[in-house]
Amino acid sequence: MAQMIKLVFADYRYIILAVAIFVGMLIPLSIISEFIFLEPYIIAHIPSGGEISFFLILVVSALSGLVLAMNVYRINAFRNSPKKKMGGGLFGSLIGAAAGACSCGPIGFAVISTFGAAGGIATAFLANYEIPIRLVAIAILAYTYYATVKSLAVECKINT
Amino acid sequence: MKKKGIIFSGIAAIVIIAIIASISVSQSVNESLNLDMGQTHGTVSTAMGSPILGSDSAPITIIEFGDYQCHQCYNWFHNTRDSVVENYIETGKANLVFVDLAFLGRDSPKAAAATYCAEEQGKYWEFHDLLYTSQEGIDSGWANSERLKAFAFSLGLDMELFDSCIDSGKFNKRVQFNINEAKKQGASATPTFIIVNSNGQQQKLVGAQPYAVFKDVIDSMI
Repeated sequence: MAQMIKLVFADYRYIILAVAIFVGMLIPLSIISEFIFLEPYIIAHIPSGGEISFFLILVVSALSGLVLAMNVYRINAFRNSPKKKMGGGLFGSLIGAAAGACSCGPIGFAVISTFGAAGGIATAFLANYEIPIRLVAIAILAYTYYATVKSLAVECKINT
Repeated sequence: MKKKGIIFSGIAAIVIIAIIASISVSQSVNESLNLDMGQTHGTVSTAMGSPILGSDSAPITIIEFGDYQCHQCYNWFHNTRDSVVENYIETGKANLVFVDLAFLGRDSPKAAAATYCAEEQGKYWEFHDLLYTSQEGIDSGWANSERLKAFAFSLGLDMELFDSCIDSGKFNKRVQFNINEAKKQGASATPTFIIVNSNGQQQKLVGAQPYAVFKDVIDSMI
């Protein structure tokens, strides 16, 4: 596994891509989940009881960066490689991002204002099951990572 | 002719008595709620909001737009509010008014209305605090009518009065007024705070921000 990571990230462009995905998920998710506030001035704050939620956001963002960058490498390196695993990575990232993003914030307010009771049920579900949903997202991303590494090992052998 | 006159005057008497009775009932409701319909803080109408926590004459008013089912309101209540109360409200520098933005689920407006039923018996803030201490998942049943009645019982409220208040939906319009006021003020998340000083200067804070932010903003406005 470490070999595959070395192989992919030997090209600095994939490091930049992974970091961009990580930061691009971590900051918006932290803002939505109220770990970062932009007004009246920028401040980061993890309230008591919010540690697990922040840790899960961190893991989802890190795994998304890793998995998506590796899949982009796989697709670029082996043009005829199946793109299904990329979809798994995106799916996991989306689920992880959606959990807890709704509820009390402006997104939840907009969803409930637009869709009424149905929006309310959806946001309530995403808020009430935030941690289990993020754990499912992590499981999907972890499986996608495992499958990607396996696939890369096979494709590298075939192509060398 | 005489008979008709007696019937007519009898009906007139009943109508007059009914009008007098309805006026006196509406006056007694207003008196028991002690609502000042003109009460505003800055541009915000707080007439239908909570009773004021702290000194009426405090130079700063913190208006919180919140929902009893919102977990960020729960976070603010448990992580920031105590420090604000200790350093600003108990010292007379600020007071706090809670205005309902009950939008998260079907039990949110019920919980908000229940606080006003508790207010009728002089226990608004005790009920408010109990709700934020007992919060569970949105619409998970923790704030349904039965549980709200159980909370009232645990606070020692008169259950006959409280039950009839909850069941009649007496304060539904008051809660709706507050929701409309919150929307009018541009609140689109809970908790949202509007901090107003005696000059009418206002500052909006969105979210369960830490105490340090409240301290900076309030100190800059005193």
